[in-house]
Amino acid sequence: MTREDVELVVHKEITQILPKAEIRGDVHLKDLGADSVDRVEILLAILQELRVSLPLSRFSDIPDIDRLVDFLAERAR
Amino acid sequence: MTAGIEALNVYCGLAQIPVPALFEGRGLDPERLGNLMMENRSVGLPFEDPVTNAVNAAAPIVDPSDRIEIVITSTESGLDYSKSVASYVHEYLGLPSTCRVIEVKQACYAATAAVQMAAAYVASGISPGAKVLVIATDVALVDERAGYSEPAVGFGAAAVLISDDPRVLALDLGAFGNHSYETMDSARPAPSFDIADSDRSLFAYLDCLTNCFTAYRARVDDVDFATTFDHLAMHTPFAGMVKAAHRKLMREFAGSGLAEAEEDFGRRVLPSLTYPSRVGNLCSGSVYLALASLIDTVQPDETRRVGLYSYGSGCSSEFFSGLIDRESTEAIAARRIGDHLTGRAEITFDEYAKVLPMNLTCLLPERNRTVDVGAYEHIVRRARFDRDLLVNTGTKDFHRTYEWLSP
Repeated sequence: MTREDVELVVHKEITQILPKAEIRGDVHLKDLGADSVDRVEILLAILQELRVSLPLSRFSDIPDIDRLVDFLAERAR
Repeated sequence: MTAGIEALNVYCGLAQIPVPALFEGRGLDPERLGNLMMENRSVGLPFEDPVTNAVNAAAPIVDPSDRIEIVITSTESGLDYSKSVASYVHEYLGLPSTCRVIEVKQACYAATAAVQMAAAYVASGISPGAKVLVIATDVALVDERAGYSEPAVGFGAAAVLISDDPRVLALDLGAFGNHSYETMDSARPAPSFDIADSDRSLFAYLDCLTNCFTAYRARVDDVDFATTFDHLAMHTPFAGMVKAAHRKLMREFAGSGLAEAEEDFGRRVLPSLTYPSRVGNLCSGSVYLALASLIDTVQPDETRRVGLYSYGSGCSSEFFSGLIDRESTEAIAARRIGDHLTGRAEITFDEYAKVLPMNLTCLLPERNRTVDVGAYEHIVRRARFDRDLLVNTGTKDFHRTYEWLSP
């Protein structure tokens, strides 16, 4: 799976929960208006779609959406 | 051998503020109310502290003839590095001098560790007929700096009496799963403020739930998340997080889609959130407030199995289980917890803002201090209560002083 494929999944799942979000790579999900429940739902949906099994605690320090895509792309291969 | 919760009561203060009023007062985005799933939150008054909460929760379930051999306070609102909250509680509940007195701490989890150790003590048979009183008691130390966490933090205490006559919850002895590791997700580094990393904490809560349930399933034969438990009661940081947690487990262990998870949530979990959504996070008492809510809302008249989940930042956690039945319904109904919550005085945002600075000093050690209980008469007279309540009147040479307030 390429980085672009992962990015498509990430954008799709963000849009599912936050239909009005204008997604940019250099912002955190919080900056798109996602509250804590939204953030959990978005991450779980992405992990399910990518068939990646990781503890949520691994995502605590990821600063923005670009780094989130990088982190997932390394593990979705 | 049977052991479990013989009696359970909660005390959640004399005042509450509607969460929408707190959102408006702080200028928070009302769109966030939906996922929070909170109606009100309990607010302490400056004469209420961890001791008064504990005594006011436990007094109705303590009988002078009970053989209480250990009293354990579980708190992240300690009053002293050495002297326990339990020492004051022992005095004002009039417990026997033959009783052990201790305090435990592990954020919002410690009470469950105490309950499990108490149940093991009772079940061991080394002192037949002995009872253990475990009281989870805390105060809130948050203001506008906590952002969206401020409306979710509760105030009060939950008291559970552990014995070999478990009328409220018969524990499934030996059926438990734990998960612990070191993390700095939230903490109280000083007696006047909390720190929290919301994502780190909520992610840890959810990871631990999965790991605890996996550990439970490894210990207990033929466990199925979707069918083994008639109901679930969980530590409730805020009601919306419990909904997300349930959905995560349904996804992982039952392969459920959203619609199925939603139906299951309404049937098995939602009854446990009635009281937590009116109180806020009751720290290590939270899971017991959820259990009381579940029993009062469902009112079972036949035996049902409940799965319980307790999580405390730092972190340590446990999934365990027990049985409730008609006796549980009667035992919890007798405590009239719903009436207590309805009887709290509703306060305005301005009243809340006025008591907050005093509340934030509640745990600060001061050699001599006077708390003027009468200064809050305008709020107290709007609260309904029908028994004497313990109130803090200050300190004298660091020794806390208390009086009883009559209705």
